[in-house]
Amino acid sequence: MQGALTTDRHSVAKPSKAKKASLGSLLAPVRGVLIVACLLQAVSAIAGVAPFIAVAELGRVLLAEGPIDSGHAWTIAIIGAAALVVRLVFMMAAGGLTHLADLDFQLNLRRRMAAHLGRVPLGWFTERNAGQVKKALQDDVSALHHLVGHAFTNMVSAAVTPLVSLIYLLWIDWRLTLVAIVPLLLGMGFLYAVQMRGYREKMAAYNKSLERVNSASVEFVQGIAVVKTFGQARKAYQRFLDETQRFMDYFWEWVRGLLKISAASEVVLSPLFSLVVVLGGGIWFVSQGWVAPVDVLPFAILGLGFTAPFLTIGYAQNDMMMAQQAAKRINELLDAPTLPDKETGRVPDGARVVYEGVRFSYDDRVDVLQDIDLDLAPGTVTALVGPSGSGKTTIAKLLPRFWDPTGGCITLGGVPIDELPSSELYRRVGFVFQDVQLLHASIAANIALGRPDATTEQIAAAARAAQIDERVAALPRGYDSVVGDDAKLSGGEAQRVSIARAILADAPILVLDEATAFADPESEAAIQDALSTLAAGRTLLVIAHRLHTIVSADQICVVDKGRIVERGSHAALLEQGGLYARMWAASERALSWRPSGPEAAATGSEAAQ
Amino acid sequence: MIRALLNVAGPEAARLLQRNLIGLGAEGLLMGLGFALLVPVLAALFANDTADASIWLAAMAGVLVIYAGVRYRSQLAGYMAAIGLGRGLFSRLGNHVAELPLGWFGPERVGQVGRLTSQGVIDVIGVPAHLLRPVITAFVTPATVIALMFVFDWRLALAALITAPIAALVYRWTGNLVQRTDHRTDAAAAEAAGRVVEFAQNQAVLRAFGRSTEGYDLLDNALKEQRDAGRVQIMTAVPGFAAFVLVVQFAFTIVLLFGTSLALGGSIDVPELLALLVLAVRYVEPLVMAADLGGALRIGRNSLARMDTLMATEPLPEPTASAVMAGAGIAFEQVGFAYDTRPVLTDVSFTVPAGKMTALVGPSGSGKTTVIRLAARFWDVNAGVVRVAGTDVRKIKTEDLMARLSMVFQDVYLFDGTIEDNIRMGRPEAGEDEVRQAARLARVDEIADRLPDGYASKVGEGGAALSGGERQRVSIARAILKDAPIVLLDEATAALDPENEAAVQDALRALTADRTLLVVAHRLQTVQSADQIIVLDEGTVAEQGSHPELMAKGGRYAAFWRERSRAEGWRLAPDRLAPTDPSNTHRAGA
Repeated sequence: MQGALTTDRHSVAKPSKAKKASLGSLLAPVRGVLIVACLLQAVSAIAGVAPFIAVAELGRVLLAEGPIDSGHAWTIAIIGAAALVVRLVFMMAAGGLTHLADLDFQLNLRRRMAAHLGRVPLGWFTERNAGQVKKALQDDVSALHHLVGHAFTNMVSAAVTPLVSLIYLLWIDWRLTLVAIVPLLLGMGFLYAVQMRGYREKMAAYNKSLERVNSASVEFVQGIAVVKTFGQARKAYQRFLDETQRFMDYFWEWVRGLLKISAASEVVLSPLFSLVVVLGGGIWFVSQGWVAPVDVLPFAILGLGFTAPFLTIGYAQNDMMMAQQAAKRINELLDAPTLPDKETGRVPDGARVVYEGVRFSYDDRVDVLQDIDLDLAPGTVTALVGPSGSGKTTIAKLLPRFWDPTGGCITLGGVPIDELPSSELYRRVGFVFQDVQLLHASIAANIALGRPDATTEQIAAAARAAQIDERVAALPRGYDSVVGDDAKLSGGEAQRVSIARAILADAPILVLDEATAFADPESEAAIQDALSTLAAGRTLLVIAHRLHTIVSADQICVVDKGRIVERGSHAALLEQGGLYARMWAASERALSWRPSGPEAAATGSEAAQ
Repeated sequence: MIRALLNVAGPEAARLLQRNLIGLGAEGLLMGLGFALLVPVLAALFANDTADASIWLAAMAGVLVIYAGVRYRSQLAGYMAAIGLGRGLFSRLGNHVAELPLGWFGPERVGQVGRLTSQGVIDVIGVPAHLLRPVITAFVTPATVIALMFVFDWRLALAALITAPIAALVYRWTGNLVQRTDHRTDAAAAEAAGRVVEFAQNQAVLRAFGRSTEGYDLLDNALKEQRDAGRVQIMTAVPGFAAFVLVVQFAFTIVLLFGTSLALGGSIDVPELLALLVLAVRYVEPLVMAADLGGALRIGRNSLARMDTLMATEPLPEPTASAVMAGAGIAFEQVGFAYDTRPVLTDVSFTVPAGKMTALVGPSGSGKTTVIRLAARFWDVNAGVVRVAGTDVRKIKTEDLMARLSMVFQDVYLFDGTIEDNIRMGRPEAGEDEVRQAARLARVDEIADRLPDGYASKVGEGGAALSGGERQRVSIARAILKDAPIVLLDEATAALDPENEAAVQDALRALTADRTLLVVAHRLQTVQSADQIIVLDEGTVAEQGSHPELMAKGGRYAAFWRERSRAEGWRLAPDRLAPTDPSNTHRAGA
């Protein structure tokens, strides 16, 4: 319950072997350092107990019958003080070591993850958003910090300190030691009782309720604008309020049920309770003549420390659980299958691209594409058209290996594309899609991405060809202006920078999303000119949305439900009177649409009926 | 922090919170008193007087019992305060958010506020529920112990106390040191996070241009900097932290050595010294514990501060009753408007006649979208008046204004319910057949037919189960059902496949028929068929008139029209471009 509002602390997570293994494998590189740090910490913990023992021993010397051995007393006092310094030095050494190791560990892990991400299919990224990748690479790796930096050394302290105390106390008097551990046993009993009262189930229900609050909150805030425009702000607010009040009710009910038992367990685990028990036992033992009064002193000092590890172990458990969840996500990322590397060293002969019986499925159950045959002769334009969801984009994205086909084969110059090193493939296949991708770097660096050795003149020439040179020249630092800082570009302008990049990279084969041309209505014409320049003289595979832009393509493939159903020139397809002809008619109608044309009146009267 | 809590708590929760605080103070005192009783117990015990020791022990046990009772009560009060605080915060934040102007809800804000009204509240109520106890007792208990030490032996008490100000100074000094390195680590973490996002978002491009296999320098440098910044921080923090611990330990060392010399000099009772030494070893521990809780407290405090800012955002003033409205026209009279300090519109005047269509055109950033948003009172103008149905929008109650308007914007938000729920939102009391009729007009019937559960199909969070065009059709059906006399339309720029585009346009035709229409137009057909065209440029009305009038004028609009017409007739590959093309010459050279 202590952790109810923060995180689940007492519920003893029993991680599966697999999870433990995954965390273990991640930690493997720092295992050696961690062991050394734990040993240092153990020394520090032992040295930490020494001053306590010193006080006890000092008491023995000072209370001894006869004259005080002052030399002995000073020795003990100085050892006690010196032990503190030892403890500090070793503690700092252990902490510094784990923290420095943690930084290297994090860096290496992040590099490993980034390197892995560079080899997974591009499609992996379209199924996730960048936020999730950031969470794994930054937040989840950081979540391991507490584990590497603190948790292990803390656990060592939590174990060594009571253990050394216990040995010392047993040596003083084993019977009184038994009395001293009574609070510990009682505390464990109470916590067990809490667990027995369905703590875990309640924690799960609590988390569910919290989730509902989260989603009600998100929906409330996201939808409020819409709701308000329909005059129903009260209603959406009510739903949020109901959900949150229900959550508070649940929390209260849970807390109230456990309040007495948890308060009792915390009192039992408090140092004052230990003190009363130890002194009570001590007085009783002294009155029975079982121990000398001076022997009670060590118990009063060290007996209080037995319950302290409870808290540390509770925290460590929590850290361990968080780290395990983080490690799970990190491992999921590291386990994402990479594109198989089958490099054979074969060199493509020419730039002809051929799809042969290509089949594709995202999940190995439902085929998204079937029997795709395509032949892209060098220098020709092939357009893929079809309803949304037909698979035309997927066909195009197989060529730059966003994914690999499930069946069939795609060859470039006679070589299957998965046998080409990716650098070779991407030197030959370029692409421009709707989502503009500029880096937070200078305009020049963005344009020269594919050819870092390009000269300033070449960069400027590409920018000119992409109709963006004037805009760049007008920027405060010209080509050195940094995207997002002093180069604030509109969507259309960013699009043209990305086209300049493709022009400079100069791949002979180009996969192009035609929607790029009208991504920004304000600079449509300029983008179109840039695209025309880019397209000239290349082998083109176009995902087409507006049919009239591709009427003169060499071949038009009509994709429907994952198959190519029609194929031919614009004229031939119109004559065929099939899906293409219907789509053409629809697009002609859409082009002639006016919001309140004569047709509108007719539909309007229909609405009024 | 505690004052801030009391401020947001509301009267009843504040009272519970105060009771909780008093209880916690009493807890700390009792704990300190219990510890201090160790001195007489041990003194009696070492004097071999077990009877006397038992009496003192009984007193200590009595303190323990009272402590347990107080602790239970203050824990109860703490939870009750947390619950009261939670209920109050949820409802007050929710209430306030519901009143904020539409313009306030940008995408970034939505995320922040969504977190604040869920996890943020949880963080805040965790303070009275869990965090106050260890923090308060960590200070009260040692203070009590030290105070009582003075009763037994002022010299040792003073020796123990003497390091406290030094410890406080060192603690602050270390904090400052670490804070200075914090800036660098924070900046490095932000930069690295940004690069990771970029790395993921630009993966396609990075690969296409051969920048993924051999590592992406910008990311790698950022990761390295993150490590190096961390190193600097540790190198700074470790000595500082060591100094702090050393000083705290010094308190014990002084008591130990000074006490030994006092005892050897015979000027202190040995039992008393030993008991005081026990107290001294225990007195610093809770302080170190409290330092560990600083992080959780800071999170709560930050959430509180954000709530304060949110609550300080003023809703737009709302009239108690709407002024009389007539007709369905819109008028802008010398309107000036600025986001924060950035002027967007200056001296904009025009009228949108009832039942007619008015199109807004202009380059991006010219203020088109702001105009239609001001008509719906997303914000209040800085100068001039916006009138809807002849009345200043500021004199119309939000519900009445909204009842006159339908808005179809590009960013469509659907609720995580069924298609029918989402349409019915337009007019909850509408009959089944009315909902179906609106669906049919907006061609949502085709979507429902395709889905397994028909109109009862779930649309997913935000409408994720539907395509962009389908979401638009549902939102238009919603607006058709609402049947408001004025339609504000922001024409979509995104590409739809031809069939979806045709369906959306059919839907819009049904919505806009016979209504007043103010549209941000991107399509030439839309612009051409408008009764009136308003050309905006840099926040002012540059030209105004019908299509033929403006074309005849040969000004800005005519230039816009020529450019756009050229774009509309574009062919990706009409005839293979002639070899005069610059990229060809470039390639020849490369």
